[in-house]
Amino acid sequence: MVLTKTTKLATAMFLVLNLTACGDDGTDGVNGINGQDGAVGTDGVSTFVTRADVVNTNANIAYAVYSDSLIRAVEMRESLQQFVDAPNATSFAQAKQAWLAAREPYGQSEVYRFRSGPIDALKPDGSIGVEGDGPEGRINAWPLGEAIIDYVAVVIDGDSNPESPANALSNNIISNSADYPQINKTTLLDMFEFGEDERNVTTGYHAIEFLLWGQDLNADKTGSGERDNTGGQRPFSDYYSATNGHESACTSGTLVMADQICMRRGDYLLAAADVLIDDLTAITSSWEPNVGVHYNAFVAGGNVSLAKILEGMGRLSFGELAGERINIALTTDSQEDEHSCFSDNTHRDIYLNAKGVQNSYNANYIRINGEVIQGASIHDLLVVEGFHELANELRGALEQTQLNASVIDTHAKTGTPFDVLIQQSIQQPNILAVINSLVSQTDVIEQAIGALGVTTNDLRQDTGEF
Amino acid sequence: MKLLSPAAASVVATLFVLTGCGGGGGQSTTQPTPNPTPVDPVPTPVLDHSGLTPLTADVLDANEYYSGGEATVKVANEDAFSRRPVAISDDFQLDGFFTSGDHLFRTPHRDIGPLLSTGNCQGCHLNDGKGKVPASVDTPMTSMFMKIGKAEGGPDPVYGGQLQTFAVQSFTTSDASSGLPSYNGSTNGNELFGEAYAFVEYQTINGTYPDGQTYQLRNPVYKIKDLSFGPFGPTVRLSPRVAPAIFGSGLLEAIPSSNIEQLADENDSNNDGISGRVSLTTDVLTGEQKTGRFSYKAQNPSVLQQISAAYRGDIGLTNKLFPQEACTDQQAACQLVADQETQSGDEVDFSDRELALVEFYNRVLAVPARRGYDEANDSWDDIIIKGRKLFFDVGCVNCHVPRHKTAVANGSVLGEITLTGLEPNAEPIATLSNQLIFPYTDLLLHDMGGSCEITRETAIGDSCSEGAQCLYVQKCEGLADGLSEGVATGTEWKTPALWGVGLVQTVNPQASFLHDGRAQTLEEAILWHGGEAQTSNNAFQHLTGEQRQQLLSFVGSL
Repeated sequence: MVLTKTTKLATAMFLVLNLTACGDDGTDGVNGINGQDGAVGTDGVSTFVTRADVVNTNANIAYAVYSDSLIRAVEMRESLQQFVDAPNATSFAQAKQAWLAAREPYGQSEVYRFRSGPIDALKPDGSIGVEGDGPEGRINAWPLGEAIIDYVAVVIDGDSNPESPANALSNNIISNSADYPQINKTTLLDMFEFGEDERNVTTGYHAIEFLLWGQDLNADKTGSGERDNTGGQRPFSDYYSATNGHESACTSGTLVMADQICMRRGDYLLAAADVLIDDLTAITSSWEPNVGVHYNAFVAGGNVSLAKILEGMGRLSFGELAGERINIALTTDSQEDEHSCFSDNTHRDIYLNAKGVQNSYNANYIRINGEVIQGASIHDLLVVEGFHELANELRGALEQTQLNASVIDTHAKTGTPFDVLIQQSIQQPNILAVINSLVSQTDVIEQAIGALGVTTNDLRQDTGEF
Repeated sequence: MKLLSPAAASVVATLFVLTGCGGGGGQSTTQPTPNPTPVDPVPTPVLDHSGLTPLTADVLDANEYYSGGEATVKVANEDAFSRRPVAISDDFQLDGFFTSGDHLFRTPHRDIGPLLSTGNCQGCHLNDGKGKVPASVDTPMTSMFMKIGKAEGGPDPVYGGQLQTFAVQSFTTSDASSGLPSYNGSTNGNELFGEAYAFVEYQTINGTYPDGQTYQLRNPVYKIKDLSFGPFGPTVRLSPRVAPAIFGSGLLEAIPSSNIEQLADENDSNNDGISGRVSLTTDVLTGEQKTGRFSYKAQNPSVLQQISAAYRGDIGLTNKLFPQEACTDQQAACQLVADQETQSGDEVDFSDRELALVEFYNRVLAVPARRGYDEANDSWDDIIIKGRKLFFDVGCVNCHVPRHKTAVANGSVLGEITLTGLEPNAEPIATLSNQLIFPYTDLLLHDMGGSCEITRETAIGDSCSEGAQCLYVQKCEGLADGLSEGVATGTEWKTPALWGVGLVQTVNPQASFLHDGRAQTLEEAILWHGGEAQTSNNAFQHLTGEQRQQLLSFVGSL
């Protein structure tokens, strides 16, 4: 035993020395002041990291961020239960707060999309399939054709219907007790994307969001005219029933309804939370250290895994965040294209998505309990491999994006939410700044992919079922 | 066998010259001038319309598996028509534009209507695939609609070129039925309803193969009721259309017109009974006459014009190519609602950049790979090989031309997409350029036989002439629709591409086949072929039952 260890150590030391001997300790100062003397120059790097280290840390952060998402979803479920049991101003505010809190870790997890990870490719049997097999759509799909779930306003800014009237339901799931006598997880899953229709989203964060906030119809609830700075204004009496001491007081907005409607709405809210917890549990398990199917495969994946990290960063930065989530909304000036349109929480989606990219680069994530997960970063790796300037450029690009996103965040928190910002004009400078910095950072991410010599080519060879 | 035309010969010569220039590596500058007077003239090789050695019934080309060349994806599940090629997903920017185009494709937009068939693209192209025929006469058509016109050509004077079933309030309010047609409901000029309600009933046709095997076909009878703007013009013609799948359209667009023209044989000079002709159509941006490629009668020369026409006609979104709402001057109620939309004056509903994103998305949507091929061992299933030979021998390939070669796929005439705008002089799309593809179409118009008549009847079939209970009823024999569009007559159709046809019902289990979805299976679709395809249909029917299965297996593998 001892002998073996010593041999390994000796080999490792030999390799390190050997590597150092091969380096060019020039006199230009790049390699540090000790370089000229032949001692080990560290190129200004205080932390030596390998590619495998970077992959490991990325996996560890994945586990932490999905664990946090799951923990917050479970906490939200408790708040929703308390609210349904006793709907009042306090419990309603707590339920909404719990939803907002649940979005904080989840938004940072989205950098783990677009890389054939569990979120996109986890099959029901726990194995990893191809992109599209995973639960992402059930968890976070948008825009919703919310008319399939609950009552909608007569006139709205956006469209509450499915893609095709052929895929509309008779009434909606909550009000149609003849066709849907029970509302439980199975009901929601059966109706997900009903009629091959991607707008028929019955589950996930945004279904819950709709059931808490309702449609964003302005303070006067007309749904017309210029947007104001309020989100949806669903009254908590939408959950009143005899079972929680409010007999014959159930509402659907301004209309008084039978108790049964509110009870079914409560059932729906809790069932949606249950589906979300199931899906997040499956993803977290797949990322669980030592036993998780994906965790083990990923940490053993070498350059392919390194490529996946960078691919998720690039794809989220450009296509998803700058493109679909920000620029489309800006171009169409439509709440329909706003990510969290009911709660007006889109500024956090933007900020947290961008934060996730920065987390992946810096190998740094602050957990919901304050614990800091830190480790081997791509930044360090670039420096170790001799790309100091590129490392610095990418660090700066990500910092700029975060700064620009924080401006949107501040505007929203001080009375100008994203849906109001986008209607100021397509040239809205603060939003264009975020888009432009996301484009810039994507360029630098591409350079990093080139510098590290990893290719994303082999990642998406679709296999499909033949 | 077709002889090489002069145009093709010059293409071949050009290729040879190009080849002569290449391959020299670093020595190319010192190459001697090629001998200008060859001793023997090179024997003219027999080449097909693409300048390639013709395919044969017996030898499978290794490339056939990749139906869309580099733009092929190996997906055979319900997402088979929704994927992006690897070359697109590997580029963060192109990937992002695809995602944005997809978003616009499936999301409702501001200022839809006043009249429309559905609220967004995906409402018709279900899961990016085909639409469906409503399950009952009580369900309005949403992913299919009726084209409409006059017997002598041109749009109906009151209703225009297509019947939109809905008015906009069906989509912008919580009451989806509020915009459905209402008899004479819009003649007062201030209340808007959908134009008219079309539905289909089927009559069963029983048939027997020569070997005694029986089959059944559904012969559609189309009925129109609830005309909101008064009666149709006196010589009205109707043509039902189900939305087709859209993948691979950028590849079809990149086939050189000259190659398509070589396949044309307008006067059947080779006496094979087939007289395909080019559908010459007008490019609405330039006014030039161009080869029509898209829509069931090949009325649009480009993907851009196809989607622009659909945005205006099907969804009610005006755009650069079609800046006027689809209201005729006899539809005051339609104009009234159009004037209330957000965009006014010279502004169109759908911006050039949005249009360019959806154009890009449509052009690059990938083609699914074939099934029945073992890539590791480079071998095809036996039944596919046999079926392919029958497909050739029976004559299907005379119109469903298997192979084409694309030229350079030019960038959008709208410009190069950036995240915040459009730049002039768009670059070509590499993944669509110079590809060997297998769409199984000649993109030509063919006479498919049949005839139609339109009568006025009550619900129980009594003759009538006017009133709310007096329906328009269209009965046809064969595939004809009786509607002429451009140069295409009421019996002519463009040969549709067959790639992906075996996955149509995987992508949308409720989809069916042919322009109006009357065929529930590929077998029924073949049996409907008439006119120029009658000979091939007869030959198919005279095959043994086993052979017919082989041929169907081959078509199903496309």
